[in-house]
Amino acid sequence: MFHLSYMLAELRRRRGRTILTALGLAVGVALVVTVNAVASGLDRAQQDVLAPLTGVGTDMTATRPLAIGDGDGGAEGLTEAERQRLREQAGPGPGLNLRELEPGSTFSTDTFAATRELTFSASQTAEIAAIDGVEAAAGSLTLSANHVSGTVPEIDVTQGGGPGGAPPQGAFGDSDITFESRSVTGVDPAQPDIAAVTPSQITDGEYFSATGSPRQAIVSAAYAGTEGVAVGDIIGLGGEDFRVIGIASSPIGGTASDVYVKLATLQSVADLAGQINAVRVRASSGDLVPAVADAIAAGLEGAQVTTAADLAERVGGSLDDTRELSSTLGTALVIVGLVAAVLIASLLTLASVSKRVRELGTLKALGWSRGAVVRQISGESLIQGLLGGVVGAVAGVIASLAIDAGGWTLEASVSGTADTAQAATAAGGPPGGGPFGLGQAAITTGSELVEISTTPSLPLILLAIGLAVLGGLIAGAAGSLRAARLRPAAALRTVE
Amino acid sequence: MQTTTGTAPAPAPGKQSTPAYELTGVSKVYGSGSAAVAALSDIDLRVEPREVLAIVGASGSGKTTLLQLLGALDRPSAGTVRCDGRDIQSMGEGELSRLRRDTIGFVFQQFNLIPTLTARQNVELVAASTGVPAAARVARAAELLGSVGLSERAGHLPSQLSGGEQQRVAIARALMNRPRVILADEPTGNLDSATGADVLALLQHVAADNGQTLVLITHEQAVTEAAPRVVTLRDGRLISDTRS
Repeated sequence: MFHLSYMLAELRRRRGRTILTALGLAVGVALVVTVNAVASGLDRAQQDVLAPLTGVGTDMTATRPLAIGDGDGGAEGLTEAERQRLREQAGPGPGLNLRELEPGSTFSTDTFAATRELTFSASQTAEIAAIDGVEAAAGSLTLSANHVSGTVPEIDVTQGGGPGGAPPQGAFGDSDITFESRSVTGVDPAQPDIAAVTPSQITDGEYFSATGSPRQAIVSAAYAGTEGVAVGDIIGLGGEDFRVIGIASSPIGGTASDVYVKLATLQSVADLAGQINAVRVRASSGDLVPAVADAIAAGLEGAQVTTAADLAERVGGSLDDTRELSSTLGTALVIVGLVAAVLIASLLTLASVSKRVRELGTLKALGWSRGAVVRQISGESLIQGLLGGVVGAVAGVIASLAIDAGGWTLEASVSGTADTAQAATAAGGPPGGGPFGLGQAAITTGSELVEISTTPSLPLILLAIGLAVLGGLIAGAAGSLRAARLRPAAALRTVE
Repeated sequence: MQTTTGTAPAPAPGKQSTPAYELTGVSKVYGSGSAAVAALSDIDLRVEPREVLAIVGASGSGKTTLLQLLGALDRPSAGTVRCDGRDIQSMGEGELSRLRRDTIGFVFQQFNLIPTLTARQNVELVAASTGVPAAARVARAAELLGSVGLSERAGHLPSQLSGGEQQRVAIARALMNRPRVILADEPTGNLDSATGADVLALLQHVAADNGQTLVLITHEQAVTEAAPRVVTLRDGRLISDTRS
């Protein structure tokens, strides 16, 4: 208690210097609190953007993408091995040949076309689920559902229709032949949380139920808006009728199909029984993601595993720019601020010791040990650090709350560039444009405003105060070292 | 008056005891080479327990240097300084600190009170790092302030006390740890003659009451006259050691 009184008395005596030192540390602490609160807010905002896509940090998607060679695209760009795999995947198909039909006669056919993700056995889901560190795994199958109908024209239809050569949809020349293409994904209703569409995305209607009819469909909000589809409507798919039970929103940056049905149903109508082309995986902890990804890649031939970190790279816009800024400039600012604060505190403490040579010499003459003198100087610096830490923390909290109260919003966007489409493919979603160029599911491009919450957390505040105390101790150590080296005989000769 | 030069008085027969101080061939040189300055040269001095001694000399005679050696604030360049039988040359920093704290009480010319602490706290200061319980410390400080007539001023800061009162506080502080020796450096130098006389009388009184050795460093005639033994320095040498 005596020492504390002495320390406080000395700090009061040098009030100006004490305030200056504490303020220096307070600025550093306020910077730490504010910058970190902003950085945390930006991280949370990005996680919010990504959350609907995946359980950030724990999810990954395994696919077996078709590798496109260095050719000009289309079938010519494929290697023989790739063509063989594609033929195996596509199967014999419906074999529609207009030359075999009478001109003027009508026709209607439904087919399912492959995407860039080659199919593989659904049994891989169980194998992946058995990997250490995997909490859950769910298979899915995404195909392009094409409907062609119309009247056989009086022309020779010999061009187009090949990979890369056909227009995606619409009238075929001057005839009334129409192409309709929709992306459709089969999801496992038993694993809704890691499915391609989750219950949280349902904005109208309901999600699949395991006991419900196999002919249920959920459509994306975008598709519903374009096609005027509502809950309760009937849509055709592969020649079968499906009742729309829900409308699902598509999170920005996420992959969205036009239509979702139960996996088993899609496998059945597409004649791809037991086949899937993506496995969505949830790891039991974020730390295990890399190991699980490696294990999946090793166990599934041609597999590409995309983690949440890959997905995070797809989010751009001012949110991403600001986050980048905060992680570079903000960190630099914090470091410079803290170093400057500690430096100023150290210099002021050294100056203070220089002013107190006679006093410290007296203490030594009276029998104070070197350790006792060091404790006195360090204690004063510690109190200054604590004072600066508390003031800085309060200032930082006020600044953070002021930013928070200002309703700061940033734009999170995903562009529709080729790179992004490729990223979408890599991320396990259907591509924006497959080798056949038909309308397939794509990532949801565009942008949305994300509100940034910059409320600082208690651990952050405590950490910042701790840094100030540490800064005070460093400053105290500098002063104490000097005080400890004072020779009492010389110190007592000092005239103040 | 008995006068000796450069030798310590022999102890009385049958009273052989450890001297408060025993200096043998002590020299102190500051600097080195051509810049070396001899502050003290070949000093032999023995101070017995309970003795009252005045060390006098002109400015630059080596009084302060001798005080610093006696106060274990510095080490000699040559010779030995024994305080209470212990050679300070062989002692580490920690031991010297403990020696100053437990064996020596300092009274400075400019009082050297801590300006932010009250009179009582200034007295307590010496025992603050000894592990003495706070209550005992406070009681002892109050007792000492009472013994120097400052009970009513215990809560005052040095700036609120007169010069004489401040020196009384300094004397109380010097007595706090019950030292064997009180070293007083020009204790009346900053006081008017009447107050100086009071302070000098107080020092002699408390030293006698507590059986302490009192070493007064001074250039004032009044102080010299009050001391039963006077050691005179000139140019760093002990030129006389007289007893009244």
